[in-house]
Amino acid sequence: MTDDPPLVVIVEDEPAVAEGYQLWLEGEYRTRVATDGGEALEVIDEEADVVMLDRMMPDMAGEEVLAELRARGLDVGVVMVTAVEPDFDVIEMGFDAYITKPPDRDELLQVIEQLAERSALSDELQEYYSLMARKGTLEAEKTRAELEESDAYDELVERIDEQQEEVDGTLGDVGEEAEFVDVARDLFGEPETEELKDATGEEP
Amino acid sequence: MTDGYDVRGALPGDAVDALPRGTNAVIVGPAMTGKRDLALQLLAAGFDDDEGVLTITTDGTVDVQDFERHVPGIDPDRIGILDCSGKDGGSHRNGVRRSVSSPGDLTGISISVAKQLKALETADVSGIRYGLVSISTLLQFLDVQTVFKFLHVFTARVEDTGGLGVYTLSEDAHDPQAVNTILGQFDTVLRIRETDAGDRELQVRGGGSAPTPWMPFPYPSNTTP
Repeated sequence: MTDDPPLVVIVEDEPAVAEGYQLWLEGEYRTRVATDGGEALEVIDEEADVVMLDRMMPDMAGEEVLAELRARGLDVGVVMVTAVEPDFDVIEMGFDAYITKPPDRDELLQVIEQLAERSALSDELQEYYSLMARKGTLEAEKTRAELEESDAYDELVERIDEQQEEVDGTLGDVGEEAEFVDVARDLFGEPETEELKDATGEEP
Repeated sequence: MTDGYDVRGALPGDAVDALPRGTNAVIVGPAMTGKRDLALQLLAAGFDDDEGVLTITTDGTVDVQDFERHVPGIDPDRIGILDCSGKDGGSHRNGVRRSVSSPGDLTGISISVAKQLKALETADVSGIRYGLVSISTLLQFLDVQTVFKFLHVFTARVEDTGGLGVYTLSEDAHDPQAVNTILGQFDTVLRIRETDAGDRELQVRGGGSAPTPWMPFPYPSNTTP
């Protein structure tokens, strides 16, 4: 877990367009640019939080890049940037969002922010789990008296409290049904139950 | 109902009369020691006319009748059952009962819970008691960290909305580290143990007060008929 700004990878074959995006994202985000699909697969790693993926690239379609990222198990939010309004379900394809070209600045920033937050939640929750699992293991192996003596255990409990605050700060308002469903989708993927695939949790 | 959920009669003696809003209580113990029944008692005891109850059953055995038996005259519009045993096939709605195709479908469960809540809220409820029976089944389908994450989000929801969450976990089916890790998510732990003589005892920990002594369990007065 680092405190660096989120990393956005811009995959775009027109340098001027990529530069425009970079200017918008400056300050709030770190950026990396790749000019084609092959390069994208080289520069996108565990560190990336969000990928802006041009759908049409000379060497590789955005879908192919996406498939490879998912095959690598990279936990990254992917926005498809497309010249035409897609007539198919991009979410079904594994994209987390799409934006039509030319993007509106506010819309783009909003989508990036949302995906960066999701990525942060997943990382923070993973870290929280690791700490809690360590605590669970100590508690299974040591007596209560031994734990009370242990500075390492105290420190662990303290880190857990801090981490829990981080997680819950990022979690958002899960008291709202729609937000609760969004978080579940982000963490656990699309529902397996066929009839619920298009559900948002908003309709009765 | 302002000061919490009345659970009088569910627990022995005067141990616990009410659980504060936002409480997440887990019942843990060996298999076949009455955890499911205690969960139903906690969901139903002292049930107020203006409350709602929403229970996730991972093996399909919790039914509307369970609540009708414990709470005579309960309005069926205030009951939601989510069956994720997969025995019902896909998702469909049958009165107060919904289903998803597998206990491993956490997103499906979350969507169905949200839908069911919408339905309950039309009945203007003041508070919702949530049941999850059982965490053990989830652990058979998913790894510990995935279940842990789901429980974190679910308990956060119960806490944020001032609900009451009641969960069961069979401890002998999983390794002690996993059980401890999962238990760390809950503010209240009700532990059942069996003595060498074969009697059952119950202890309540958490909720801001000192652990109760071990009490005989179940207590003769309110076992399920």
